[in-house]
Amino acid sequence: MSKVQLTNVRKTYPNGAEAVRGVDMEIDSGEFIVFVGPSGCGKSTLLRMVAGLESITEGQIQIDDRMINDVSPADRDVAMVFQNYALYPHMTVRGNMSYGLKNRGMPKEEINQKVTEAAKMLRIADFLDRQPNQLSGGQRQRVAMGRAIVREPKVFLFDEPLSNLDAKLRVQMRIEIKRLQRRMNVTSIYVTHDQTEAMTLADRLAVINDGKIEQMGTPIDLYNNPATLFVASFIGSPQVNLLPATFDGQHLVSGDVKLPGFTDLPTSTDLVLGIRPDELHLDDNGQFPMRVDIVEQHGSDNLIYGGILGAINEGDEETEFCFKAGQDMLPELESTLKLGFNAERAMVFNKESGERLR
Amino acid sequence: MAMDVAGYSRTRGLLAHAVLCAGLVFMLGPIVVIIASSTHLTSTLQQQGLQWLPSNQAIQNYGRIFSYEAGFTDQITPLGMLKNSLIIATSVAALTTILSLLTAYAIVFFRMPGKHVVFWFVLVTLLFPLESRFVNTFSVTASLGLINTHVGMVLPVLAAALGTLFFRQYFLTLPKELIEAASLDGAGPFRFLKDIVIPLSFSRAGAIFVIAFMIGWNQYLWPLMISTDDSLYTLVRGIRLVGQESGPGMALIVITILPPFLLLLVFQRWFFRSLAD
Repeated sequence: MSKVQLTNVRKTYPNGAEAVRGVDMEIDSGEFIVFVGPSGCGKSTLLRMVAGLESITEGQIQIDDRMINDVSPADRDVAMVFQNYALYPHMTVRGNMSYGLKNRGMPKEEINQKVTEAAKMLRIADFLDRQPNQLSGGQRQRVAMGRAIVREPKVFLFDEPLSNLDAKLRVQMRIEIKRLQRRMNVTSIYVTHDQTEAMTLADRLAVINDGKIEQMGTPIDLYNNPATLFVASFIGSPQVNLLPATFDGQHLVSGDVKLPGFTDLPTSTDLVLGIRPDELHLDDNGQFPMRVDIVEQHGSDNLIYGGILGAINEGDEETEFCFKAGQDMLPELESTLKLGFNAERAMVFNKESGERLR
Repeated sequence: MAMDVAGYSRTRGLLAHAVLCAGLVFMLGPIVVIIASSTHLTSTLQQQGLQWLPSNQAIQNYGRIFSYEAGFTDQITPLGMLKNSLIIATSVAALTTILSLLTAYAIVFFRMPGKHVVFWFVLVTLLFPLESRFVNTFSVTASLGLINTHVGMVLPVLAAALGTLFFRQYFLTLPKELIEAASLDGAGPFRFLKDIVIPLSFSRAGAIFVIAFMIGWNQYLWPLMISTDDSLYTLVRGIRLVGQESGPGMALIVITILPPFLLLLVFQRWFFRSLAD
């Protein structure tokens, strides 16, 4: 049960590249925090700074009020699960799991007991004497987690641990990681670029962009109330529909499309309207005429993609919307649907700064 | 269509076999000649030259060679030469393997300024074989008082860039997460070397050991320069003393090529695996 605190943490590489630009964060005991963001945003670097694998250029990292900036990775009392598992190829599963304990001088019997316990919990007890190359990807991932668990660290660090698994296994392991973390109640930081993983695992989510925290909060809060255009477009699957627009005093205007129901917006600024695909509905008086382009049947619901007729377009492409409908909604391709939306639930952003205006 | 493919691959297969057989004859021919000649009378060899087919003098020739005494004052026997050769080749092999493994470990896993320059310097030594720096090496060895010693024959050949290069290329293929995982597991540089790197490099180390053993075993010119004491003769040098066109001389050659061959036999599984990876 440990708190982690990051204060104005920065990372600048010798060549001047800034990977992390001032991160402040407080992580509570037992909390599951997910860093999510596009590749190259600095989320892995930040995690590796907590692990001690990257030096900290500026700022402080504390675990339970102890400054760990200059503490070696081994003495920080953190355990990490790597994307490529990083198992020792010549050691058995048991060897892999016990190596860290052996180095810490734990008596053999205690090691054996801990390894057996963790192996049972992870359902790899039958493989203890095998070598990593005799295991499947999912089993290797469990061994990597086992190696972290036996250490009973203050903090678990996960660096995209599921990215090398196939889709089905990923969902399974995701649930298992969540269950394990609940059961062990160890403070955890998890890095991923997959927003579904992020949404489903996190107690709190930190959306990272360009080395800074764009927004932090519970997944549902970030989904419902994104503070910026970046967060709105990154969180949510299918992605939020975005429509470039301006405000004429009464309506949001995008080409021929005029949308009532908006007030108090700047008139001289380029804006972006954001509507979640499930906030759209069929409406004979709807303001969005959509020419159906593709229908994806996902089983319980269908995702209907198409261009919005008359709307401003970026470049040559039409502004394309996604409309989430029930499974019996199967419009003809190239037909036109009229879509309406609830202006109360729509989001408006400043196009330039990305700031949310309402 | 299928016939064509099969026919094509059969011609290719035959051609490949023909090339391989030619190579085999080319490489094994001299060895067959040596072994066959070592079973003939010295007089036969001197009158009719080297022989392709075995005769009946094997026991006499091999028996006589071990009681042979050579040198200015008869101070060296083939058994003494064998001992010298084994001491030198084993030391060269073991020390070269250890040195190049440690050098590569330092170059790959440690962050230090100028390590690439160091590596290039190591590589450059490939361009300067021992023979090209005999004069300097001799004066250094002499000033260290290592003339007429085994150490003097071993030390100058130890800096083998080949081994360093070989280990470095392998270490570079190890994922960097391995050392990171180890450091989180509380393994410092020494433990990482002992527990992870050395066990993983075992088969490669075997290959380097064999190659370095051959280098040490086959040395001729350097031991010749550095020793005036006949008791330091190695097998490779001793062949000259016994005489190439004599039955016992041929027997000595066979004995000379035997140890490296046996070593290769023992190590071949590791040797080929690590070269093929």
